[in-house]
Amino acid sequence: MTDPTTGVPSPTAAGAGAAGAPAADEGHLVLRDLVKTYPGRHGAAVRGVSLSVPRGAMLAVLGPSGCGKSTTLRMIAGLVAPSAGSVLVDGKDVTGTPAHHRDMGVVFQSYALFPHMDVAGNVAFGLEMRKVPRPERERRVTEALELVRLDHLARRRVSQLSGGQQQRVALARALVVRPTVLLLDEPLSNLDAQLRTTMREEIRRIQQETGITTVFVTHDQHEALSMADRVAVLHEGRLEQLGTPQEIYERPASRFTAEFVGRANLLPATVVAAASAGEAAAAEVEVPGIGRITAQGASPAPGEPVTVLLRPHRVVLDAHDPDGGIARGTVLTAGYTGETVAYRVRVGGSGPELDVELPSGSHRPSAPGAEVGVSWQQGAARLVPAAPRSGGDAEAADGGGPAGDRDPRGGAA
Amino acid sequence: MRTGPAGRAAWVALLVVLYLFLLAPIIVVLVVSFDDATFLRFPPEGFTLDAYRQVFANDDFRSAIQVSAVTASITALLAVVTGVPAALALSRVPFRGREAMESAFLSPLLVPNIVLGLALLVLFAPIPLTDTYTGLILAHLGITIPYVVRTVCASLAGADPRAEEAARTLGADTFTVARRIILPTILPGVVSGGVIAFLLSFDETVISLFVSGQNVTPLPVAVLQYVEYRSDPAVAALSVCLVVLSVVAVVFVERSLGLRRSLRSG
Repeated sequence: MTDPTTGVPSPTAAGAGAAGAPAADEGHLVLRDLVKTYPGRHGAAVRGVSLSVPRGAMLAVLGPSGCGKSTTLRMIAGLVAPSAGSVLVDGKDVTGTPAHHRDMGVVFQSYALFPHMDVAGNVAFGLEMRKVPRPERERRVTEALELVRLDHLARRRVSQLSGGQQQRVALARALVVRPTVLLLDEPLSNLDAQLRTTMREEIRRIQQETGITTVFVTHDQHEALSMADRVAVLHEGRLEQLGTPQEIYERPASRFTAEFVGRANLLPATVVAAASAGEAAAAEVEVPGIGRITAQGASPAPGEPVTVLLRPHRVVLDAHDPDGGIARGTVLTAGYTGETVAYRVRVGGSGPELDVELPSGSHRPSAPGAEVGVSWQQGAARLVPAAPRSGGDAEAADGGGPAGDRDPRGGAA
Repeated sequence: MRTGPAGRAAWVALLVVLYLFLLAPIIVVLVVSFDDATFLRFPPEGFTLDAYRQVFANDDFRSAIQVSAVTASITALLAVVTGVPAALALSRVPFRGREAMESAFLSPLLVPNIVLGLALLVLFAPIPLTDTYTGLILAHLGITIPYVVRTVCASLAGADPRAEEAARTLGADTFTVARRIILPTILPGVVSGGVIAFLLSFDETVISLFVSGQNVTPLPVAVLQYVEYRSDPAVAALSVCLVVLSVVAVVFVERSLGLRRSLRSG
């Protein structure tokens, strides 16, 4: 179930809202050029999102608040009517189908339980709507509550439940009707950190047990990377990238994705020569202050500006041999965080500053002012498509283009 | 507030005095209603239940009580039947000018009742709706619907619209969502709105004076007409009955549904 889902041929095309990629049509749930504009508001909330979710897969829609991810989910559920575009389930266009005929299970951020019903009453509601006869209804309610491990609380009032228990009731209520698609809106954001980890595994277990096609919306990259088969990164109403968690993290297709998912050093560079093409494409690039390095990824023609991504944990510092690395650097700050030591290092005399993260205990910590050799493994440096997408994007504007970017630090918020 | 024992006693004393001030007229009426005189006086000198017997022996009062009970019941029912959908529309249906509409719904409360009464008289006289149940009920609806809309809107503001969306995604159409999800959630507001409408209508004097007549005379108007010519403890006894009715209604709602809560959130 890999290939059809990578769906969008190139992120640039997807970002520009290219008419539904042909491969996308094979998915169980397909969005085609979904657009939502609100009257009286400047710009669209969702500006042409096309993607596809294969049957039984779990897709995370990841993005900062206001990126349009919740609106997208509500359009899938039929709670918001799209201004343009369509939603397809099993190849059938359901864009005009009202929410109560869509057969989708939705779990809301606030859980949205029915306060005047007990736990079993909440779970039974969807079955009553489907006129399931009482004996079967009771059996399925019990099954659904067993699935979320709440069968002992069936007669409890929902106001007497903890946040995690309410969350499970909401999940059982959505699943009991055996919906074609399960939609989760920030399902874990109201839980405390420990419970969140448990529920993350729990939701993943239930999703795999039931094999239901699932879309969940989150602003938490850890949640997205650890739970989903596919991640769709949304930014300002556009799809930035759609791929597996590994692809999103290791081969980000844009500056935004590189910075939003994980921590990143982004260095402006110029292409010197393409080293190879195809799958293992790489290029030799000139990074001001560092020199010529090899970076993975497809590159534009020699002389063109590009951005090089270097994840902080993939950089190595050597205090014993400052000249033995790829470049010589000076430690500016060092911060002990327990599991790691976070350094900020200036490369060369006036070169770029790098964030570096080393596992604590693996090395003798360097103090600020120390001279170190900076190096990284072959393949750690990665080219990020540098050209701004179709005009007016915030990132394209704020750095004045990567080539002119004086401060290459990538500290993602 | 931080006070010593003496300070606390002073605060309590203040509250007791205020409370007595508010209750004094009712206490006077209660005491007078048991007097055996044929005129109103205070303090009373005898004790009898004759006044209460007189109230229920008086044909004018009996028919007035009936008129008021029928009027208040129908008014409360119609106010709820029209006010609840109006509150739903105001709280859940997005449309242009919704806020203006919401304040428009409360505006009858700002018009002095005497003006409203006069206006209704001018409007009703030629139709003719004066001195009819229909006219009386229509007039009372005008002042009770805003209260129902208000209490129901307050209840709706406390209900999670996401729960209604959840019901929709589970297969409930608009009508089912209203019946199975919204109504049970706002029931306290609906009932207290209805009870308030009933009490307001039962109590309404000024507007009723304008639109009622010889045939359909609600209780407050009958009382006014009675005291114009006579003043005996029967009026006091009747007043006590009215107070008891109000108190019973309010206590009932308070106990069973939490009137205080639904009013406080309004």
